[in-house]
Amino acid sequence: MKVNILFGGKAGQGTNILSNILGQALTKIGHYVFMSREYQSMIRGGHNFNILTFSNSPVYSNDSQLDLIVALDQNTVDVHKGELKKTGEIIQKEGGENMYFAGRMFKILCIDFKILENELKNLERFEENMIEAKKGYEEEKKEVCKVVLNKEKLIFMNGNQGVSEGAIKSGLDLYYAYPMTPATNVMTELAKKQIEKNILVLELENEIAVINAAIGSAMTGAKTMIGTSGGGFDLMTESFSLVGMAEIPLVVYLASRPGPSTGAATYTAQGDLEMMRFAGHGEFPRMILAPGDPKEAQELTSQSFYFSQKFGIPAVILSDKHLAESSYTLNTNPKIISSEKTTSLKRYQSHEADEFGSTSDDAELIVRNVKKRIAKEKEIEKEAKKFEEFNIYGKKSKNIIVSWGSTKGAIIDAIKDLDVEFLQILYLEPFPKIKEKLEGKNIILIENNATGQLGKVIAEKTGIFIEDKNKILKYDGRPFFSDKLKEEIKRRLK
Amino acid sequence: MTDTKLNTPMIPTWCPGCYNFILLAAMKNFITEEIKKGKKKDDFAIVSGIGCHAKIFDYLYINGLSGIHGRVLPTCLGLKVGNPNLNVIGFSGDGDAYAEGMEHLVHAARYNSDFKFIVSNNQVFALTVGQSTPTTEKGYKDKTSSWNVKLQPLNPIRLMLASGASFVARVNSDMKQIEYVFNEAMKHKGFAFIEILQPCVIFHDNKNYKDKIYSLEKEGHDKTNFDDAWKKAGEFDYNTAEKIPIGIFYQQERETFEEQFPQLVELKKKKIGWKDIKR
Repeated sequence: MKVNILFGGKAGQGTNILSNILGQALTKIGHYVFMSREYQSMIRGGHNFNILTFSNSPVYSNDSQLDLIVALDQNTVDVHKGELKKTGEIIQKEGGENMYFAGRMFKILCIDFKILENELKNLERFEENMIEAKKGYEEEKKEVCKVVLNKEKLIFMNGNQGVSEGAIKSGLDLYYAYPMTPATNVMTELAKKQIEKNILVLELENEIAVINAAIGSAMTGAKTMIGTSGGGFDLMTESFSLVGMAEIPLVVYLASRPGPSTGAATYTAQGDLEMMRFAGHGEFPRMILAPGDPKEAQELTSQSFYFSQKFGIPAVILSDKHLAESSYTLNTNPKIISSEKTTSLKRYQSHEADEFGSTSDDAELIVRNVKKRIAKEKEIEKEAKKFEEFNIYGKKSKNIIVSWGSTKGAIIDAIKDLDVEFLQILYLEPFPKIKEKLEGKNIILIENNATGQLGKVIAEKTGIFIEDKNKILKYDGRPFFSDKLKEEIKRRLK
Repeated sequence: MTDTKLNTPMIPTWCPGCYNFILLAAMKNFITEEIKKGKKKDDFAIVSGIGCHAKIFDYLYINGLSGIHGRVLPTCLGLKVGNPNLNVIGFSGDGDAYAEGMEHLVHAARYNSDFKFIVSNNQVFALTVGQSTPTTEKGYKDKTSSWNVKLQPLNPIRLMLASGASFVARVNSDMKQIEYVFNEAMKHKGFAFIEILQPCVIFHDNKNYKDKIYSLEKEGHDKTNFDDAWKKAGEFDYNTAEKIPIGIFYQQERETFEEQFPQLVELKKKKIGWKDIKR
């Protein structure tokens, strides 16, 4: 049993809060929930919506066909009624506020009103919201309570919260950022907890200041992290190269959105893998880790701290808007690896330098320094083998899907009854040995970009070229729906 | 670094007669005095950018970063945030501070983090052999494009005053002046901006400010009065002038960047940095 509900309205009407409350409550009573969020770059007006999918078994994506539309404005109905199943329904009420609809939904889904009351206590305007919520709860007569509930302890969390949690659990001291969608929420999440956790979150004048201040702090031994999206990272690139040269441990959170340039500011894409592989002039080691859900976001964030501290390198957590701002149900705890603080203040250089930390152009010295930096790549590769560099899902098959990052959820939901394996790559740099997993198989590449960037890495690292007709690429700024993806995969199976 | 020596084995590569030698000597004197008074060498951190000024890092054996062009200020801020007990000194040139990294300068003044910032203003991009910077005087013959610079130079003193800097000073390249102003800057709680007029001996071979300068201190200038500071700052527009005021234009302590965050106040109180926080 899987239910797809769309909550839609204008920016400012509170559809996101409404569906978040529902998602939290459904998780609390034992449902698996996946909720994605689509919004526009405006503060008031326009059309925002969340799609919430829940089930009594794990679910990691939305379907394209809806069971219910909760419409806070007429526009929501006009835009989405075509996506409604034949049996689907629309919930609408002239002048109804978001918490009115929350009340009705709690009634329909047979959720204890007390849970809603508690959720409202965390918000402003408690009294007014309660009046609305009660009104909705009492007006609604329909109840659908047939679902079997899980007894597991479930947690409802989005990718950005996963990164924040992971950073705190890894012993984060300092987080620097300049606001940029979809990375901003890590800054706000961490800021909320900064006094309680004794960490410090600083917003500076621009991304260049952010990375250079982070460099200064990391030099003193503080566990330091920065976060941004593609355009912000472009500005940081020169200093990213300095991090590589000075061998400073720094964790970078990169949450992608469609580019080039401003692209589609509040939408999703996996277009920055190549940027992260090649960012910064000169040759220096780096790591790029790509989580596929909030649990992996926590784990890979802790691994980023581990590797950056151990080897004095920049480590990148590569995410995107779909993972960052979609909420998932977690039923197991992440495996967090602890890391020492390895750095203390000494003489750091952007230039090749001698043992005193003074500039030198000596040819032998340059070779020695380059070798020392590049030698780390082998060491990192060796160390990485101790971790899960990739995951394999599904039964052994002659068909295999390869992908990375936020596409994981839709793929797992799509392949449930198909004859296909799924290879999810977590470590993009260093790149794991996957040649033998792919050889002789019908390989299908799935990515949220236009050129199949992972496909290019696979070609480079394994010599295997994936056929163009086997590339399922989506670059409209939207994530994959699992039902539509399933059709695309089916067509390519042997 | 537990030793106290301030020299590296490197021989300075500045041009003969370069004013940077004076700054280096003044810095060594200053830090030697501070160590005599009980500070440790490790209590200091220095940051430099790119250009002739930046070589000071190679000759001054103190922890820190010889960084990239224009980013001295955010790195200094990051060091203070990383460990508020450090005495952080940033070195920049006019290209570094007024061109490439201009945005950081305005915000550093606004933030008022407790570090000191020295701009060696030689009014030219010297190390790239002679291009004009934002403070190059009108009429300067640019070495590469062979046209006379027609643009109005920036007035960094007024920029700093307008940006809210709590300590704004300018000195001529003179050992005693540098040491005096620097001592005052170190006593100042908050961001201190010190510009050193040091016209490049190669590209400004006839320039000498010695006959034009006068001391604000000797004239009885009230450095706590913003309007007076603003007026004095206007006397020299970095082109030609009869009189060039030097000394402290403005000094008024206010809450520092570090004082606004209880996390940093705590580190300062305990005399530790984040590195010492065990989690």
